[in-house]
Amino acid sequence: MWDWNYAFEVLPDIASALWVTISATLVGFVLALVVGLIWTLMIRSNNKIISNVADGIVKFIRNTPLLVQLYFIFYVFPQFGLSLEPFTAGVIGLGLHYSTYLSEVYRSGIESVGPGQWEVATALNFDTRKTWTRIILPQAIPPVLPVIGNYFITMFKETPLLSAITLVEILQTAQNIGAGTFRYTEPLTIVGVLFLLLSYPASVALRQLEIRVTERY
Amino acid sequence: MSEPIVRYNNVTKYFDDLQVLDGIDFEIQPGEKVALIGPSGSGKTTFARLLMTLEEITDGTIEVEGDYLWHEQDDNGDLKPASTEHLRKVRSNIGMVFQHFHLFPHMTVLENVMEAPVTVQGRDKKEAKKAAEEMLDKVGLLDKADSYPAQLSGGQKQRVAIARALVMNPKVLIFDEPTSALDPELVGEVLDVIKDIADQGDTSMLLITHEMDFAKEVADRIAFFDGGKIIEDGPPSEILYNPKAPRLKEFLERFMNTQSSPE
Amino acid sequence: MSFWELIVSLLGQGLVITLLTTVLAAILALVLGFIGGLMRLSKNKFIRFIVAIYVEVFRGTSLLVQLFWIYFVLPMFGLTMSALTAAVLAIGLNYGAYTSEVVRSGIQSVDKGQTEASIALNFTRVQRMRRIIIPQAFILMLPNLGNQLIELFKSTSLVALITLTDLTYQANVLNATTLQTTQIFTALLVIYFVIAWPMTKGMKMLERKMTEGRM
Repeated sequence: MWDWNYAFEVLPDIASALWVTISATLVGFVLALVVGLIWTLMIRSNNKIISNVADGIVKFIRNTPLLVQLYFIFYVFPQFGLSLEPFTAGVIGLGLHYSTYLSEVYRSGIESVGPGQWEVATALNFDTRKTWTRIILPQAIPPVLPVIGNYFITMFKETPLLSAITLVEILQTAQNIGAGTFRYTEPLTIVGVLFLLLSYPASVALRQLEIRVTERY
Repeated sequence: MSEPIVRYNNVTKYFDDLQVLDGIDFEIQPGEKVALIGPSGSGKTTFARLLMTLEEITDGTIEVEGDYLWHEQDDNGDLKPASTEHLRKVRSNIGMVFQHFHLFPHMTVLENVMEAPVTVQGRDKKEAKKAAEEMLDKVGLLDKADSYPAQLSGGQKQRVAIARALVMNPKVLIFDEPTSALDPELVGEVLDVIKDIADQGDTSMLLITHEMDFAKEVADRIAFFDGGKIIEDGPPSEILYNPKAPRLKEFLERFMNTQSSPE
Repeated sequence: MSFWELIVSLLGQGLVITLLTTVLAAILALVLGFIGGLMRLSKNKFIRFIVAIYVEVFRGTSLLVQLFWIYFVLPMFGLTMSALTAAVLAIGLNYGAYTSEVVRSGIQSVDKGQTEASIALNFTRVQRMRRIIIPQAFILMLPNLGNQLIELFKSTSLVALITLTDLTYQANVLNATTLQTTQIFTALLVIYFVIAWPMTKGMKMLERKMTEGRM
């Protein structure tokens, strides 16, 4: 049923693929953080066209599956001359998908800053950029940090989807090993355990952060 | 004198290390209306909540109509903690009206009053509806039967809460500062309803209040709490106009001062 | 094939499986979520511990890994099942774990006064939960449950990877045979959106209807 020798034999291969998984998560997350903020600012724009277009794109991305978006980026973009490596396509897909969630998080953070802060910024004659960077965002971001962190963990757990566009991350590595030996039990279980080992401590740490944040704000 | 309907024997209550009730003995007679007064933190609310089984007793016993509330006697006559069934049986004699009403927001006014008779007492739906309507009529809110609590004023909410408690026919009804959460102009309508019930019912009442005039009017007896003990206990005329304990005198003086001083 | 024909072809072959998986998994998740959420509030430490393990394992590992594990590993232990069963089981168990947290926090957010009033009216624990606490908690949970339903619907696309013939699977098949890649995947995105978007709106409407005048 369970062969420890075999498990230890395949463990190094799977673990070495972990770094593909982690770097995809990190790059995707940075992309999501930046693009998410762009969506938020666009949606808040006074220009109705910009605001509506951004809102529409965000809604569309949020209401379609990540997996299909990955297929679209990986298989359709080349039709227009834009061929992407699996890693690049995957990271763009992940980042774009989660940017729409982060945009919503930023929005709620910004809305939690009272109107008085905007008025004070005006009264002190801050320009728009300084108002955002010095007054609004420093207040809007810390309370939503736990939620942002949660999306980081969620993204990490979504990276196996990248195997569908042929990226050899840990799930695909395990699948490859299984296909070669016809033994899926150990490789797949190891993948599950690795995810749990990494994401559980992270979510415990986040809960601590959340408690600290609720105390402060 | 007849058998008391409620009897506290040496009742003690701790919250962790903090003692809130210190060996209290107390009796309530059938039909008697007792007002509890005293500074906040004096233990009067905990005293009442123990009777409603909302707090657990630390030491001592409470009897309701001769039955232990928090205990059961085993075959040797020794006391052991009450089972849930026993607790529910004895508790069925007690009702309570809360400071913050606690109406069920997802039910209409009529459903609020009907719910417990049907669910808890297993009464027939038609009969329960009739009884509920009677009670709503009694508190003057029959026309609001189909409204939801969110659509009522505070005073109306509290009158519904009173109807909801009354329809269960409790032998003892606890009022925990029933007007403290109300806007001043809504206090009168609630006090009028309570006074009506006091005048016509043989329900015993335990009334925690800061309305001294009202306590004087309604109560047969007033008990003054301080530091987890009942310091003085007697008819309103004695307690309010001829207080003996220095702490009571002090309390009443301060109370009268705050009452008469403009806001 | 024209774009229109592609959409019709995709819908004809994959829609039923996608919707069936969604509905069955959602029911399983809701049932597991309520059972788990209530057990999480039990006075019994052991029961709470068991549920905590379930929740942490299914939240802590990836849905796709769980799907593969159920479909590829369980047969090694003699538990062979159809792709549909595996899909419903994996998605239901995964979302059930999240739902149980929604249920737990929903119940905990009901005002404590409601419990006190129920005790004062002599409700049993079960009556109190069923008649007073859960109906109110359910309304508090609705926005979260609605979001989860949308997420669950989208996640059904993963079942294509265990060869269940849903919309996404059919799109891949069609892509291999017609090579109309751009139109096929565009059509697929549009189909998902056209189903998910009204679902989002519908849940919002339900929310409004349930809270109307009451809260």
